[in-house]
Amino acid sequence: MSHGFELEGAAKSGDLVPRNAALALFSAALEGLNRLVLRVSMVALLVTAGVLTYSVVTRYFLKSSTDWQDEASVFMLVGATFMTAAYVQSLRGHVGIEALAGLLPEGVNRVRLVLVDLVSALFCSFYSWKSWALFHEAWTEGQTTSSSFAPPLWIPYLLMAAGMSLLAVQLFLQFFVRLSGGEVQKAQA
Amino acid sequence: MSELGIGLSYGAATLLVMFSGMPIAFALGTVAVTFMYFFMPASSLDTVAQNVYEEMASITLLSIPLFIMKGAAIGKSRAGQDLYSAIHAWLHKVPGGLGIANVFACALFAAMAGSSPATCSAIGSAGIPEMRRRGYSPGFAAGIIAAGGTLGILLPPSIVMILFAVAAEQSLGRLFLAGIGPGLLLVGLFAAYAVARARKEYKQALAVYEAGGVKSAYLDVEHFTLAKKVEMLPRVLPFLVLLLGVMVALYGGFATPSETAGLGGLMALGLVAVVYGLWRPKDVAPLLSSTLKESTMLMLIIGMSLLYSYVMSHLHISQGAAQWIVGMQLSKWVLLSVILLMVIVLGFFLPPVSIILMTAPIILPPLKAAGFDLIWFGVVMTIVMEMGLIHPPVGLNIFVIKNVAPDIPLKDVIWGVMPFVGLMFVAVFLLCVFPEIATGLPNLVMGAK
Repeated sequence: MSHGFELEGAAKSGDLVPRNAALALFSAALEGLNRLVLRVSMVALLVTAGVLTYSVVTRYFLKSSTDWQDEASVFMLVGATFMTAAYVQSLRGHVGIEALAGLLPEGVNRVRLVLVDLVSALFCSFYSWKSWALFHEAWTEGQTTSSSFAPPLWIPYLLMAAGMSLLAVQLFLQFFVRLSGGEVQKAQA
Repeated sequence: MSELGIGLSYGAATLLVMFSGMPIAFALGTVAVTFMYFFMPASSLDTVAQNVYEEMASITLLSIPLFIMKGAAIGKSRAGQDLYSAIHAWLHKVPGGLGIANVFACALFAAMAGSSPATCSAIGSAGIPEMRRRGYSPGFAAGIIAAGGTLGILLPPSIVMILFAVAAEQSLGRLFLAGIGPGLLLVGLFAAYAVARARKEYKQALAVYEAGGVKSAYLDVEHFTLAKKVEMLPRVLPFLVLLLGVMVALYGGFATPSETAGLGGLMALGLVAVVYGLWRPKDVAPLLSSTLKESTMLMLIIGMSLLYSYVMSHLHISQGAAQWIVGMQLSKWVLLSVILLMVIVLGFFLPPVSIILMTAPIILPPLKAAGFDLIWFGVVMTIVMEMGLIHPPVGLNIFVIKNVAPDIPLKDVIWGVMPFVGLMFVAVFLLCVFPEIATGLPNLVMGAK
């Protein structure tokens, strides 16, 4: 658990761009979208901390209880988690076990990396399809949580579906980038 | 296919997909969904997203990003170096005091930041050069910091413990308290070893000097005036206030664990803004983006691990495995040893979050049946997983140390941490003999279970 700790000198994917021009253009657009989503998620994180602090303050100093803060916090944090999944993937920040990588011949390793991206993309596509179905159901049936605050459930489902779709798109992009010759330093592009 | 066959295939598929290098979250999700498709009713596939959401939409679990934010704020400021310098100034006259100062600084910083690698980096970047300048051998200096950093997942608020509390359905407040005694025990063991080793190295340096050799820096006497010592305190005190504030909020009945996480996160951001002037958007944005990077990666692993466990339970794999373990009729301590050995081996490859969530349904029922207190086991399991942070092949802290002090050979770092791995085994043994080290404080504060 690194808690925001990053080893210095780790490769920054932002310094690399796809060799293929069309993919490079799409990658730049997706990077812009990811950065926008990241900024909104940062605000959501701060607002969540503020909401939870507010609930402590109002309960102990103003003697009034709040019943919405837990669900609002859950919605914001679930949203921030799923919506930034693609940004994290763009940095290859979802950790995996790379113990075998060094043992495989280079050609086999290249095939492995392509397959890993493809299967990951397919899984996330399936998951986002089921998330959209869940969102649709919650929207049409007007589903809410079971609390007295009863916020609509389509809100977190929408964020989950959108975030996983963005993640699937990011993974497919990385898959096609690997297939089309990989990445080069920005200056060489 | 029989339950045993399904279980074995599930395990084999997991190993295959994990070792393919696929990100852990997607690997667990892929295995779970594939087995749902082949062995569960077709309608179960429609509930995949709902299952993950319902498991993740827990305010306790979602306190994790906020605790990470608190750690990132503290970890990315100069707090670690300031804390280390102040403790060093106050302890330099104690024999082996420099080593003790590093252990204490690691423990305090770990409790504030809740992160092992961040602790290694923050304290190590100041502590390792200072210890080496004072003549400490490189491996010893690296070992102190790598081991001291591991206290981050034992002392509250620990993310590993949050997950264990959720997986084992135990009280989080009780579990946090149970980590304090063993945490202090490890601090004591590490500090005692640091003193003994420093004295040995001092004697060796003295012998070399008396025989006409070079004078090691070990033999130099260092002075800090009282004014200098007092001058260092104001930068450290706010962080001790944060540490105490979080504990009081949690155990004084003022806030739930998730509210404490939010409050602690805001307090940490406020403190680094006031003390270190990190308040502009360009200062705060890196803290928040690294928080989201870490927490999103973790939360997706947690969500998919929960889906993985759900499928394992639905297919009766976990129950079958648990019954098989119980059926072996192992003695209580052999059972514990086998389970801890398994945790150590898993720690070679997997982060603690995955180990807890994937193994809990299998290992907790037999442990409960054998009469083990699950709060106590949570602490022991955490210490064992701490070892994974400092022993090869993964040993994240070893690589953080290599980053902080690149000129220390990896071999020296690994040999330097080995005595501390031994001390952790000693702590586990002491916890087995005296379980009250862990259970005493929660029983005292919250009443016996």
